[in-house]
Amino acid sequence: MAHQAHSYHMVDPSPWPIFGAAAALLTTSGLIMWFHYSSTTLLTMGLLSMLLVMLQWWRDVIRESTFQGHHTPTVQKGLRYGMILFITSEAFFFLGFFWAFFHSSLAPTPELGGQWPPTGVKPLNPLEVPLLNTAILLASGVTVTWTHHSITEGNRKQAIHALTLTILLGFYFTALQAMEYHEASFSIADSVYGSTFFVATGFHGLHVIIGSSFLTVCLLRLIKFHFTPNHHFGFEAAAWYWHFVDIIWLFLYMSMYWWGS
Amino acid sequence: MYYKFNGFTQRLVGAAASTAYNPQGLKPIVSTESPALVFGTTTKLASDLPATDSFLGKNQVPDLQKLFQSDSKADGLPVHLKRGVPDKLLYRTTMALTIGGTIYCLVALYMASQPRSQK
Repeated sequence: MAHQAHSYHMVDPSPWPIFGAAAALLTTSGLIMWFHYSSTTLLTMGLLSMLLVMLQWWRDVIRESTFQGHHTPTVQKGLRYGMILFITSEAFFFLGFFWAFFHSSLAPTPELGGQWPPTGVKPLNPLEVPLLNTAILLASGVTVTWTHHSITEGNRKQAIHALTLTILLGFYFTALQAMEYHEASFSIADSVYGSTFFVATGFHGLHVIIGSSFLTVCLLRLIKFHFTPNHHFGFEAAAWYWHFVDIIWLFLYMSMYWWGS
Repeated sequence: MYYKFNGFTQRLVGAAASTAYNPQGLKPIVSTESPALVFGTTTKLASDLPATDSFLGKNQVPDLQKLFQSDSKADGLPVHLKRGVPDKLLYRTTMALTIGGTIYCLVALYMASQPRSQK
């Protein structure tokens, strides 16, 4: 039986990358068919196939690591670099939307009434629900750190409790934001104020949902004994992502909700 | 010079004597051994959590490890089909959806590119 003489992971042939690319094609062209021809078939197929590919690809990563032991320290280092680079790219993504916000708000045009918020726009009170949301995300940052310490100390019960609490706080944030969206007196169509506000906070909300899903998967793996006190990178990646989401919210709150009101 | 292990960069870095003497602070000692490297051989048990018995289920990781390690189950199956029937069903569904969808997509885009648009 041939054994490899290095500590890297030579992956089994897998169909998920090309199926993932096809799913992306279906989703993007599905969006076109929806926008221009009011047809949602292609979009539904795209989103469904994207979901299936994600589920199976990440299921396979768990099989390769936890069950087959391929994630040596060398492999784990590569995964750490990968996650850091990905989060950095997400930071640049949000940077663009903040740029757009400051471009429009620092020099409001005559069409807006020469002021920010524009004439007639009644912004959300930053000291009401948005402040609560800030407290919720900061608290969830604390609970996710508590989870990490519990894992490294081998305290299963506490880790499960802390991670559950983190996820519940995430859901509470999402529910409150949804309610705020519903109750807001302005919409995305209300000048560049509405555009910048809803696109930036909307993408942030999407990232909260993604982060909560990631943490939920970690909770299931934690319950199923996948993590050890020394090796739990999946959880660390989720925690990094969650802290990133928290920091983006802090910037959103300070610039759009507080300064921009 | 004393050294400590930086968990983030996974390297040894310089440290004060007190850190070297008490690497984990004054908390109870947790094992700092990394799991055994795997080079195509079966692993030892990955789970070394203390036995909290049945708080939310039994630990099935060792059984699944046996199932997925190709030494004891030399079937040559790639990891995405290792569990047999449920894996095959999911794979075929995904394949049908993506390949069928791609064909449908190309047809729809061809039709959309025709001069008289259909609503």
